[in-house]
Amino acid sequence: MRTSLHEIEKIEQYLLKRGNPEEHLLMEAKMQLDSELADQVALQKQTYKVIVSYGRQQLRQEIQSIDRKVFRLPVYASFRSSILSIFKKS
Amino acid sequence: MTKTIDQSERELLFTRLYMEAFPATAKFVSRTGGSLEDARDAFQEALLVFYEDVMLGDYQVEVSDKPYLLGIARNIYLKKKRRNKIDNSLEEVEVVDLQEDEISTGKLLNFLQETSQRCMELLQSFYYEKLTMASLADRFGFRSERSATVQKYKCLEKVRNRVKEKSISYEDFLA
Repeated sequence: MRTSLHEIEKIEQYLLKRGNPEEHLLMEAKMQLDSELADQVALQKQTYKVIVSYGRQQLRQEIQSIDRKVFRLPVYASFRSSILSIFKKS
Repeated sequence: MTKTIDQSERELLFTRLYMEAFPATAKFVSRTGGSLEDARDAFQEALLVFYEDVMLGDYQVEVSDKPYLLGIARNIYLKKKRRNKIDNSLEEVEVVDLQEDEISTGKLLNFLQETSQRCMELLQSFYYEKLTMASLADRFGFRSERSATVQKYKCLEKVRNRVKEKSISYEDFLA
């Protein structure tokens, strides 16, 4: 693996708490001395958040398409009419 | 333990849950004066929470799926109802701020979808769906876990650079 990828792996182990305690402390000390590294760590942390948002958005779209399906397709007509009757009464 | 299923299995699961648990959600929402749209919104959000808790998280459901899901849907609906009341009395400024934040996240996600879709799919499979390296290699057609791992870090580097690029351009935009 390229050096830059090894660095990403090291940051990942630190952020996801996969390394041992010594490595964790070492990383914290390095970050104190190297502000560029500290920036990289912050950026990678933000990237994980963005990836989770992406995954969640994909799942949300899947759920929306199921919702559209059960409220539109003829196959689910009886389900739909039983639901509509719940709201007619009120 | 994380239980990973693919998209077609998810479709079956979600459809089944709609049939089993949506009618009770609809009755509850209707009784408290809500509309069909309210019930659908709350139920969709509840499915997301349910999936993250049960399928992606460590949560073990003791009771069956249905009452658990119904409980989540009720809470989401009631919270939203309360929040709507509060929002109406809030100053407009705060609401606008929240919307702008959501818009810039949405823009970034669209940008990543357009420029790095395969990488985003691969990364979300690992960091969101929590697939093992072996199933990830299988899903994306890598010969070994090792090559999948290398590709994962390459993608992470690529996306990290894109996020950086975008966050800088947003700063410029705001300045």
